[in-house]
Amino acid sequence: MPAVLTVDPRSGVPIYLQIIDQVKRSVALGVLQAGEQLPTVKQLALDLTINPNTVARAYRDLERDSVIETAPGRGSFVRADGTAANANAAAVDIARDALESGLREAKSVGLAREDVRRLLETALDRWFPEER
Amino acid sequence: MSTIQISNLRKNYGSLAAVAGLSLQIPDGCVFGLLGPNGSGKTTTFKCMLDLARRSSGEVLYDGHALAPETFQNVAYVPERSVLYEWMTVAQHVEMNRRAFAKFDAARAMELLQQFNIDPRKRARALSKGMRTAVMVALAFARNAGVLILDEPTSGLDPVNQRHVLSLIINEAARGNTVVFSSHQIGQVERAAERIAVLDRGRLVLDGAVDDLKADRKIVEGIFPGVDFTLDGIAGDPRIARVDRTERIVRLLVLSGADEIAARLASAGAGGVRVLDLNLEDIFLYAVSPSDATADVVAQGSSS
Repeated sequence: MPAVLTVDPRSGVPIYLQIIDQVKRSVALGVLQAGEQLPTVKQLALDLTINPNTVARAYRDLERDSVIETAPGRGSFVRADGTAANANAAAVDIARDALESGLREAKSVGLAREDVRRLLETALDRWFPEER
Repeated sequence: MSTIQISNLRKNYGSLAAVAGLSLQIPDGCVFGLLGPNGSGKTTTFKCMLDLARRSSGEVLYDGHALAPETFQNVAYVPERSVLYEWMTVAQHVEMNRRAFAKFDAARAMELLQQFNIDPRKRARALSKGMRTAVMVALAFARNAGVLILDEPTSGLDPVNQRHVLSLIINEAARGNTVVFSSHQIGQVERAAERIAVLDRGRLVLDGAVDDLKADRKIVEGIFPGVDFTLDGIAGDPRIARVDRTERIVRLLVLSGADEIAARLASAGAGGVRVLDLNLEDIFLYAVSPSDATADVVAQGSSS
């Protein structure tokens, strides 16, 4: 798990959001499986050389989003129930963010809705040819 | 075990106000980074926090109490310039600390010295600047203090030992202890600190949680088709801290609500509207030199 998780503290993206994003991504990709234990807050903070309260904040948010659960004294685990649903939700989150940012860019450089629709159709054909 | 409350701290040296009315709250268990250019008052603030410099006015309270002799048992300090007795060996400094501080762990001090590759048989006068810093750090972290005040605790250290000091700070934080530290290496503060304060010419110009500052503070940029455009109703928004305008390009430093302000810039007719993230260095530079930080930030800023 620590090997999978990396953060870039010098980025303008808050570190706790980077951790949340990566855990969700790992769950979506099956790198983290149901019931799998996450490092303790202290361990992850030391592994990444970042503030432990920042890690704790990420874990709290992941708990709130039902991605992980914490058993006092035992540690934090990827939730067993609904991992499939979590994985799917995480995948949708990631894809939505990427699409949103692409569409925002398209709009900001002045493309019209029809131009964007054509681009989307072409991209869909390229990436999902079997589902045409 | 200690919330530190600094209220209206002022320290004058002659006619110069080294600290000019500083109020800060450092929460219990927090790693708190103090940033500022040279001469901004960081070291003076630390000294006033420890009664090593007499305050001209204001107060510093630890859990509501003024600094008392017994408080020193719980507060460890690494000064900006190492304070060592030149004729004494490192081991003798360890012994001196063991006698002075009830909770001092001499075995831990020796272990830390070994990690920094320092021979305890050496006399202080034979140590390089970096080694002196490392000795001060080892002595402070062996104190088992609830509060650590570290003035440039990585100065003169090589990158490996700098990282080691960060790990020590993080370890203290994981134990629930409070760490206040300053560093000119903003990348270190960005990693280890949960909250920061920026001083400039003795005044507080910014404070907050690092991640919150990054989430909120953005550059919003837009390009107008012609030179005669107006920012009426946008530039006056209190969330906009600064407006930079060249012929057709507008760059706004926003303190919050970046997406909404970006949308308003677009409806005012701007194209190519982008929201750029700011890292801690950018945020710091804007706070202390509001007039000339822009060029750099835009060159480094990543699109989001």
